[in-house]
Amino acid sequence: MMNSIQYYLDIFEVTQQQLRKVAEAALSRGGDYCDFYFENTTFFNLLLKDGVVSSGGFHTDYGVGIRVLKGEKTGYAYTENTDLEDMMKAAKAASAIACGSNESRHYSPVSGEARDMYPVRKNWRDMSADAFLPFLKSLETRVFRSDSRIVKVIVRLSDSVSDVLMYNSLGELTCDTRPMGSVTVTAVFSQNGKTENKTASRSFRTGAELIDDMLIEELASDVVRGIDERFEAIRPKGGQMSVVMGAGASGILLHEAMGHAFEADFNRKGQSIFSGKIGKQVCPAGINVVDDGTVMYNRGSGNYDDEGVPGQKTYMITDGILTSYLHDRISAAWYGVAPTGNGRRENFRYNPIPRMRATYMESGNASPDGIISSVSKGIYVDEFSNGQVKIGEGDFTFFVKSGFLIENGRLTAPVKDINIIGNGPKALSDIVAVGNDLKIDNGTWTCGKEQSVPVSCGMPTILVSSLTVGGE
Amino acid sequence: MITEKEIDIARKCIDIALKKGADAARMSLNKCVSDSVTIFNGEIDKVTHSADRSLYMYIFADGRYGTFSTNRLDIHALDKFIGNAVNMVRMLGEDSLRRLPDKSRTAEDAKTGMELELFDRSYLNSDADSRISTARSLSIYGKVNPEECRIISEECEYTDSYDDTVLIDSQGFEGRHTETTFSAFVEMTIEDADGNKYSGFWWENTPFSDKLDIRNIAPKALERAVRQIGPKPRRGGRYRMVVDRNNATRLVSPLFSALNASSIQQKMSFLDGSIGQKIFSEGMTIMDLPRTVGKSGSRLYDTEGVATKDAPIIENGIVRQYFVNTYMSGKTGFAPTVEDISRPCLMPYIKGEDLAGREKEVSLEDILKLCGSGVYVTGFNGGNCNPVTGDFSYGVEGFAFSKGKITHPVREMLITGNMIELWNNLMAAGTDARECARWQIPTLAFEGVSFSA
Repeated sequence: MMNSIQYYLDIFEVTQQQLRKVAEAALSRGGDYCDFYFENTTFFNLLLKDGVVSSGGFHTDYGVGIRVLKGEKTGYAYTENTDLEDMMKAAKAASAIACGSNESRHYSPVSGEARDMYPVRKNWRDMSADAFLPFLKSLETRVFRSDSRIVKVIVRLSDSVSDVLMYNSLGELTCDTRPMGSVTVTAVFSQNGKTENKTASRSFRTGAELIDDMLIEELASDVVRGIDERFEAIRPKGGQMSVVMGAGASGILLHEAMGHAFEADFNRKGQSIFSGKIGKQVCPAGINVVDDGTVMYNRGSGNYDDEGVPGQKTYMITDGILTSYLHDRISAAWYGVAPTGNGRRENFRYNPIPRMRATYMESGNASPDGIISSVSKGIYVDEFSNGQVKIGEGDFTFFVKSGFLIENGRLTAPVKDINIIGNGPKALSDIVAVGNDLKIDNGTWTCGKEQSVPVSCGMPTILVSSLTVGGE
Repeated sequence: MITEKEIDIARKCIDIALKKGADAARMSLNKCVSDSVTIFNGEIDKVTHSADRSLYMYIFADGRYGTFSTNRLDIHALDKFIGNAVNMVRMLGEDSLRRLPDKSRTAEDAKTGMELELFDRSYLNSDADSRISTARSLSIYGKVNPEECRIISEECEYTDSYDDTVLIDSQGFEGRHTETTFSAFVEMTIEDADGNKYSGFWWENTPFSDKLDIRNIAPKALERAVRQIGPKPRRGGRYRMVVDRNNATRLVSPLFSALNASSIQQKMSFLDGSIGQKIFSEGMTIMDLPRTVGKSGSRLYDTEGVATKDAPIIENGIVRQYFVNTYMSGKTGFAPTVEDISRPCLMPYIKGEDLAGREKEVSLEDILKLCGSGVYVTGFNGGNCNPVTGDFSYGVEGFAFSKGKITHPVREMLITGNMIELWNNLMAAGTDARECARWQIPTLAFEGVSFSA
């Protein structure tokens, strides 16, 4: 959602003349570049628990972050007031990075037009809490009706709207208003003295039009799907085996195990296992891996990134070859390429760094059923959580929330509570089949590299020939 | 520091909330200032200054409850904000169990914020030059013999900060907690002759600047990277597991989550019904010691203002305490306690030995010797613990050891099991918890842990 520039200048009570004055102060000690990130965010949340919407609230966060770059060095300060005096103080604090440094780097203006990837029909800020109460109650009722074993239902609704104004010493002035709506439902099931729980969520950059009966049906059906298997699930015998990753949420493995290692800050510093490998074959031909900030209404999308660079779609792997890292302005200038729109931050308190948006692998040609039937002994997984990766070594671990054994080409016993462990580059090179069923998962994914930012992920069904599965 | 004027604003906000129709209210005013300097490969890379101020409001009205926050503390804007907040609370569902804690349970000894002696006045003398100088002195980049190993990158960070919080409620409770933190962190990434990368980090932090010993941080980070060179596969199986003191909290935190009354009430706890029961091994004792003066993690009151106390949580394997806030007490019928753990201390233990009254130190080396052979875990990499069953699966890395001595690094291994079974197989707990840690968890050893590779 994009409003007029004046709308944002009014919110932050600044003029363009003041912006130029503060920029002069920020560069007064010899900085190469400076930028400002003004943010006014309102958050709202409701929680239904034990049949009652018994807690909720709203929150506001307001301020401006000022960054000065000298070479690749960063000076950063912020203030929660946007009056000229406080901004000048913050600019002075950030400008100190330039003292005594002879390095310099040329930072160039960016080209490209932003398009609105999240037009809003019903602004969250215009909604009253009582407008959402029937929705929460209906969702709870619908979930209880779905399965007689459900003993508890918890529903969370949260939304936020951020007004953002970005200005830099190149004279670029960009503005954006970013909505976000999320609904999460958790059901606790009890059967013969055993308890299991399952959570389903949806999150989009959209207005309050998100809240409708269709969402109730989607979430209610998601939260009970697979619960029979969850009660029956076993821990399989562990060891090395073929792993089929189901379409959709498996994309989080792509995000953690490979995506972070493509972020240009790690590569610029030589810390990533993919450092110096641009142009090299890193996985079988035919595989394309994308980080995309242009998926309409997607949680990871941005009309602009947090450095004022228009949202874009970036191919990291094209036909098996590493073609691009994910850049912010610093790494782009260092590598001598254009920024890819990956400079993101949690809020005005943080300097931007390269971050993913919606990360996914494009569809291949194989049928998902054909992939499963090609495996004589292995495991099929369709729900992961708690992934972690070591950027330098490439080692990753993922917790499998649900899946199945594959025996002689068929899904057999359900499995749960196991881990998959492997090495990112090796797992990429061990992909032997890519399905034709890419699915983006629209859950409430949040990436926590130093700062929290909303992301999403996706994957077609794929087969990795060998990974370590932890079991009994 | 929070000024008297700012505290007065918080008090006024209580009055405004009551005038607007709230039955009760609690305000938490927080101010935090932090400065950090990062050195990358011997050169300054980043300087940051942050100064936060926020007001968090807990509003109770007509048997209903809501939480709100803002960082805009203009009293006129706050008047409107609180009015909207009270109106919103009235739209929510009635839940008569939402209330402030009984006043007799709130702390009376946290008046100045300085009672726990966690504020170092020398912080006030910190300046940009001294921070840069300290950060620079962390670095050993360019001082290591390149024949020993090739350092790809070295990142050093020095941070100092203060955190000041005032908690006020409409029953007259006022509490304050103030602390400073001085911390230093170094991460090294190295490359072996075959181009394989390894990283290692080390850190120190303390409330007191003169106790921050930065001399060995970078060498330790380097040593922790170098020792990983040349990992060898290890077959899966059941082994004795020694867990490094820097990582042992990973195995303790699921216990505290499961002891929280909210988890129990939501049927998401594998320790439901455990109070007063012997659930764990005889030698397992965890105390909560939040009232130790001068120690990180100490606090005199929890987020509700309830006075903390030193108490056993698990004593000789018997569960002694759930964590029950005022709301959950009403929901579950459990007597209220503090909301959660503050400063857990896991007591020393060696299976078959009586350590009571003995001054004996139990080190990592002692524990490796005691165990003989197994896997010494120095890092967790992903994984999870099922809150309902306690079944866990974690990725781990570390070292194989034999005859009490480390033999070679191992990685890409997984451990699986159940939390209750694991802690029933506790063989030893050392006396070596790190001074800088808020959670005092030492080196641990367990019998018969299932490893996959």
